[in-house]
Amino acid sequence: MLELDSHKILKDFDDPATASIVSGNQSIEDNFPNSYQDIRGWINLSPKSPIKTHRVSIIGVNLDGYDIHKDDWPEKEDPFTQVDLLNNEEDQVQELIFRIRKSRSIPYHESLANRLLALFKDAKEEDPDSLGIAAGSLRNFYNFLHLHTNLKRPAISLTPDYNIYASWRGEQNRVFSVHFLPNGDVRFVIFKPNDRHPGRQIRLSGIATSDILMETVAPDSVSDWISE
Amino acid sequence: MKGEKIPVQNHIARFCRPMQVHDGQIQATAFMLRADEESLSVNWLEFLNCSSRKCEITKIRTIYSETFNVGARAKIAVLNVGEVCEKVLTESPDGRNLEVLHDPLVNDQSHSEIYNLKQDDELIAELILETVREAHSARI
Repeated sequence: MLELDSHKILKDFDDPATASIVSGNQSIEDNFPNSYQDIRGWINLSPKSPIKTHRVSIIGVNLDGYDIHKDDWPEKEDPFTQVDLLNNEEDQVQELIFRIRKSRSIPYHESLANRLLALFKDAKEEDPDSLGIAAGSLRNFYNFLHLHTNLKRPAISLTPDYNIYASWRGEQNRVFSVHFLPNGDVRFVIFKPNDRHPGRQIRLSGIATSDILMETVAPDSVSDWISE
Repeated sequence: MKGEKIPVQNHIARFCRPMQVHDGQIQATAFMLRADEESLSVNWLEFLNCSSRKCEITKIRTIYSETFNVGARAKIAVLNVGEVCEKVLTESPDGRNLEVLHDPLVNDQSHSEIYNLKQDDELIAELILETVREAHSARI
């Protein structure tokens, strides 16, 4: 179980261009240089020139403070703001997907990254001028995943505005769905059985920031059935 | 006829984009509006005057393929008009009264729209999802 320090969570709620990594007492490995090439090849998009070559080798964050090991860190001192350099939203999306692929704290990181790439590819195939995935929404989702590494893998789809929408479904028609908005907010829906009135259902919806979502829905016992 | 209310016993088809389908399952996002949309596009199946659902789906696939790019994983969701309206009316927090009206286009005479949806209607999208009766591939 990861121990998290909320003070170290990257604060991107006001600035959608800020990169974000949250971790506990585990290390995250990111290795950007070849990732762009790999991802571009996977989605069969034309390479852009020049390919960005930010390099982050090993970033470790623990409860005692940042413990950052780097061997090639250009220009900026703060590793978490490297994405600031990316003007192109598409590049940000690809970088975030790559980070998810490398995030060992997320148990299903590989399949999740594959799913996100497939969604990106589907959206681009349908409309090459589309966002593919809204970078701010994906970043919001990424932050949420790092705060809650014990969740079951959700069904993921994109809203018509290319935001991430994650859904968990359980027995007795239980539903917990979360729309990750680009500004750090989430809109959520809960369907759950009404224990006092069998056959009836309780339906709730609300809005919160993604960092306090699970606290917000705690009275509804969502964690009990969406956690591993 | 434009603006005609579709009878409650009739059926509509909604095009579900590949990005709104997960592992072959249609997701609630298929029933959400874009920021610039005021209503949800559907097709009125009985208007096609077919003798079977199979024939209706074949015609709908043709309309789609002539209108836009249909991805390999795209789906067609079939819904009953009365069931959708009743479900949303009785189970949405604000007792939303959806309207399903015929809105024929030059190249798509069965085109219709679901009105009285809003952009932040995730809960209603989830309710509509629960009324999906059939799912078909959208590709010919």
